[in-house]
Amino acid sequence: MNLNPEFQRQLQLEFSQARLVGVPLILGIIFTLTYFLDNQTHNEVSITAQTALGLFLLMVSFWGARQAVDSVLEEQRSHTWDTQRLSALDPWTMVCGKLLGSTLVVWYGGVICLLVYGLSANNLGNLLWVYGYAITSGLLVQNISLLLSLIALRKGQINSNSVITGLAIIAAFTIGSWIMPLSSNPQALQAMPDASWYGISTTSQFLTLMTVCWALFWCVVGNYRLMAQELRIRTLPWVWFAFALFLMVYAGGFIEAQHFSEYFYTTAFAICLTLSYLIVFTEYNEPMRIKRLLTYITQENWQRAAEELPLWCVTFVLAAVVALPLSFTHPADIEELHVYPITILLFLLRDIGIFLFFSFGKNPQRAFSLTLLSFVLLYGVLPGIFAAADLKAVSALFFPLVADSMGISIICMGIQSALVWYVLYQRWQESV
Amino acid sequence: MINVEQLIFEYPNLRALDEVSFHIPQGSITALVGPNGAGKSTLLRCMAALDQPMSGNIRINGIDVLEHPRECHRIIGYLSDFFGLYDRLTVRQCLHYVARAQGIAEADCAAAIDKVSSGLYINDRLDVLAGTLSRGLRQRVAIGQAIIHSPRVVLLDEPASGLDPEARHELAELFLNLQQQGMTLLVSSHILAELEAYSTDMLVLREGKIIEQVAIKTTSHAHTQDFKLTLAAPVDNLAAVLQSIDTLTVLKTEGNQAAWLQIQGDSVQHHQLLTTLLARNLPVCEFAKITSNLQDAYLDTIRHRA
Repeated sequence: MNLNPEFQRQLQLEFSQARLVGVPLILGIIFTLTYFLDNQTHNEVSITAQTALGLFLLMVSFWGARQAVDSVLEEQRSHTWDTQRLSALDPWTMVCGKLLGSTLVVWYGGVICLLVYGLSANNLGNLLWVYGYAITSGLLVQNISLLLSLIALRKGQINSNSVITGLAIIAAFTIGSWIMPLSSNPQALQAMPDASWYGISTTSQFLTLMTVCWALFWCVVGNYRLMAQELRIRTLPWVWFAFALFLMVYAGGFIEAQHFSEYFYTTAFAICLTLSYLIVFTEYNEPMRIKRLLTYITQENWQRAAEELPLWCVTFVLAAVVALPLSFTHPADIEELHVYPITILLFLLRDIGIFLFFSFGKNPQRAFSLTLLSFVLLYGVLPGIFAAADLKAVSALFFPLVADSMGISIICMGIQSALVWYVLYQRWQESV
Repeated sequence: MINVEQLIFEYPNLRALDEVSFHIPQGSITALVGPNGAGKSTLLRCMAALDQPMSGNIRINGIDVLEHPRECHRIIGYLSDFFGLYDRLTVRQCLHYVARAQGIAEADCAAAIDKVSSGLYINDRLDVLAGTLSRGLRQRVAIGQAIIHSPRVVLLDEPASGLDPEARHELAELFLNLQQQGMTLLVSSHILAELEAYSTDMLVLREGKIIEQVAIKTTSHAHTQDFKLTLAAPVDNLAAVLQSIDTLTVLKTEGNQAAWLQIQGDSVQHHQLLTTLLARNLPVCEFAKITSNLQDAYLDTIRHRA
């Protein structure tokens, strides 16, 4: 049988006989203890069921995330990554092999936990929902971990295991906060409010499950794309564009019909801004990439130029497209802050410039923390000082959303962005 | 087989490869030499389609490496200078994984492992954990992984570093064996004496530029040999005396006491020439073939270009 080679190798590494025997043995001991506790306490809520579900979440999230992360970062640490990159394996085979192979032992224990839950739960009415949430959420956490590890690999941050696993634990607690009430309270499902998506009435638990499934889908797509790039398969930024559009459409479904035209552009704009910030912080920003991009543009090699295009450019352009109609709808002010879309767009441009400035420096590993520090100064400390001194006009220079005129706010922000990008250009020239 | 044209690769503030161009014929073993930081590893990584150059062209066996990197991966084998093995797998499992990952069908894996392990003299270690192997054996397993799919081109970055003399000799034999099988090899190394045992060509890289490409084993024409003549005492007009002899060409003279000559013919003619030299009352104290080695060729190139 021609088994996926990466899956087979992961099995050889991770699914040892010791684990095959050890996992059910340890779980068996724990469940024996909880069985006796149940017999002694006679609670309405089964301790065994709660423990089984809790252990499932811990295993698939904490252990599963660690396994998924190691399946990528350990390759780089062991200097075996080049061998994998040179293999004939396609990205899909690699992603499936790594994800399923490295976590199979985790799911082996997870299935035992779910079976014990099914046998011991007093409330079986929500069983399918609990299983649905638990399995999809577990897969999501592991996929996100793999995604983050591929990003860390690209950025050369190969010792990021603890950070990624920490995020996975936070995700596990979040998932637990949805699932645990379902397992303990038979009325939990009925207590959940109804929801509607583009006028389609449904339940909030169904929408939550669908959202998790969609998130899982996009994570898998993201993993495929990142793996393809690692294997030197050339990719265009269509997927990022499609993801942004999907989010706009999907989130638009939650806007009430009577306010749709009022809030859709605001929602879409917020999504584009968030995605732009997210991708600029996660993408690998190197000065040579910009040089290659400019070289290809000079050569009018548009295909290659599009391959080198930083993804933040895609969502920035989308945000600009949305900002124009949004400017005419005059979004409502938030207390003393005026919502000027073009100014906010320029904020984004300035902030990206600041991050790239630090990324192109001698210590790009510190770019994120230095950028955060800059944001604290630019968004909080400096405008705060002048506002406290009752110098609103000076304060508006740093934080133009407090200016009463949209034109002045655009000019102030335009000057800031131009200055930042000028300094960035100087640094980029020094570094290439 | 391999054509590289105007290849440029840049790191921030450093041009690692500066318009590198060369051609490597099929079936050759080319030694890639140069000082540390010359760009050897970068060149090999670009050729293996692992790193993306700024511009230029690389064609291996007709495949445009920059346009179709994955197709290139299928026909090359690459050994990095910092290679790794799966320490918790046995040698057989390591080779099996790479064989499968390189597209060899499950049914053919055993034969492929057998073939490569026999060639590398590791068939008695197949069931040993890779993590327990010595440096030399690990190197052999890594080479085995690189060639298990019988690639047309093999790129090896410092394959002999850390090996003992015996292992280096076996490695040279292996490379010659691979050459006989029709593979083209490009081997980077600092150990020039080791490269000499098997290299047919030499490519000298310095500060990101190819400064020399020479054929090592085909430089001499048939029946032409370089000789060094040393005299016990200086002789006036040594160059003129030697040039009057038809059967030799004077390459250079030094202090009227030594001369480098190119001589045609076999050993009988060499004997006749020596007789002629003695007949002309030249106080010959040494008359010996010059065995040009890679180290001399490399140092000559470096000195010449410096």
